[in-house]
Amino acid sequence: MKKFFAVLTLVFVVALCACAFADEPKLKTVDDLKNQKLAAQRGTVGQFIAEDLLGDNKSLLLTTYEKYVDAVASLRQGKIRAIIMDEMPARRFLNSVEGLAVMEEPLSEENYAIGFRKGNSELVEAVNKALAELKADGTLDKIFDKYYTTFLTGDSSSINPEDIDFNKGAKGGSLVVGTEAGFAPYELKVGSGFIGIDVEMCAAIAKKLDKELIIENMNFDALPMAVSTNKVDMICAGITVTDERKENMDFSENYVIGAKQVALVRADDYEK
Amino acid sequence: MRNNFDFSKRNGAGRGDIVLGVFALFLLYLLYSSGFFTAAAWQDFNRRFYQNFIKDRRYMMLVDGLKATLFMTSGATLIGLTVGLILSVIRVAYKGGAPIPVLNKLANTYITVLRGTPAMVQLLIWNFTIFASARNLNTQYIAILAFGLNSGAYVAEIFRGGIESIDPGQMEAARSLGLNYTDSMRFVILPQALKNVIPMLFNEFIAMLKETSVAGYIGIDDLTRAGQNIQALTLEHSQPLVMVAIIYLVIVLFLTHLVRKLEEWLSRGRR
Repeated sequence: MKKFFAVLTLVFVVALCACAFADEPKLKTVDDLKNQKLAAQRGTVGQFIAEDLLGDNKSLLLTTYEKYVDAVASLRQGKIRAIIMDEMPARRFLNSVEGLAVMEEPLSEENYAIGFRKGNSELVEAVNKALAELKADGTLDKIFDKYYTTFLTGDSSSINPEDIDFNKGAKGGSLVVGTEAGFAPYELKVGSGFIGIDVEMCAAIAKKLDKELIIENMNFDALPMAVSTNKVDMICAGITVTDERKENMDFSENYVIGAKQVALVRADDYEK
Repeated sequence: MRNNFDFSKRNGAGRGDIVLGVFALFLLYLLYSSGFFTAAAWQDFNRRFYQNFIKDRRYMMLVDGLKATLFMTSGATLIGLTVGLILSVIRVAYKGGAPIPVLNKLANTYITVLRGTPAMVQLLIWNFTIFASARNLNTQYIAILAFGLNSGAYVAEIFRGGIESIDPGQMEAARSLGLNYTDSMRFVILPQALKNVIPMLFNEFIAMLKETSVAGYIGIDDLTRAGQNIQALTLEHSQPLVMVAIIYLVIVLFLTHLVRKLEEWLSRGRR
């Protein structure tokens, strides 16, 4: 019995030691990230950037998560030191979770576009035409304004998913869009519906094409697979256009230009 | 039917109870020292609880998720039962002398492959490879098929065990009374075997309930994913997950209670 308690105590002590934060120098610039524990969402550009930063140490220092919430929880618990992610979703975490900061220096700038199955040029052209019209008549700007201002600074309940017109019962069939609805302000699941920039934009595109919008919510790293196997018509989830992705799918015109990739860190771990 | 490990009649606290007590005290101390029992912490807990579950009827996300989970579990269990019964009968009949070597080989391969690979990998293969071009099919049906066929392999083994647990004399008696093999199986062996395996089938149902938590990978908003959706909405990490765990636990406890009642009812004639 004594032996059992001794072992139990030892386990607790080791566990407590493992939980303790090591005293490390604070992060100042992006260069300080090069030998730190980093995290990113699996399959995102953030992961590619983190891999570049870490070089040969990536298998040791990089953790990839399915959901940003998990990554942020790990960050707050001190399991990792920074998350490489897109600026706008990082800002949302900044506004609603205490004790976080975004490093001022961006890691890169990216363009977002809608992804299609390779060779589906008919749909790409139709969507590009719709996008150009939406840009010209100011609909896109209105959507961006709505989310960048009211949504990011305020309360998500000001936007109701039922207000978004999915063009139900349209004659031209359906437009199935794959997304990962944990990436506010671009897409977010609310109740049984969806809100977000991408969702409203796709709804507007579907209206132009006279099709009914259907949203398929899946994991981000499953999206390329879903579109290439024709499970969905297109994928719209704040997807950065990269050369590597261009080899496996077609992209529409960019609808977001110069979206920054930033490092989300703990506020007390960051020294400007 | 009473087993030798029934400690419920024992008096006083045993060694295990002391260890558990010490552990509980330690946890309480941890909570206390982290300020969990102060009024501010309680208010904070309430505020977060309101945000996670009450505001904008967010509990409905969990209810919808629970519906999907129960729907998939029931559907998968039905398919599993059917497939399992057919497979086990094939294997038992072959052993009993029926000339069906090809069918038996197929059944064996099926069981080996589906028991030898993880259910989640099977689910992904069903959704992204086999049903790659099925676009207007509700994903939940694909999940039901994947989980059901997977469960079928396990149920087949359960049934086979049940059938083989029946004394061979029963079959011999039935055959000597003039029933053919099919009829002896149908009217004599299977009813008795079924009675033996019903508790194990319920356990399979309970296991299935927990197994469906990976359905989120193919985009089904089951109970687990509903919790994750709430996480993404409120950016709160612990409460939705703990709530999901509690819901699973309550259902499993209820089902376990049912199994126990069922076992008592089934064994009432054997005392």
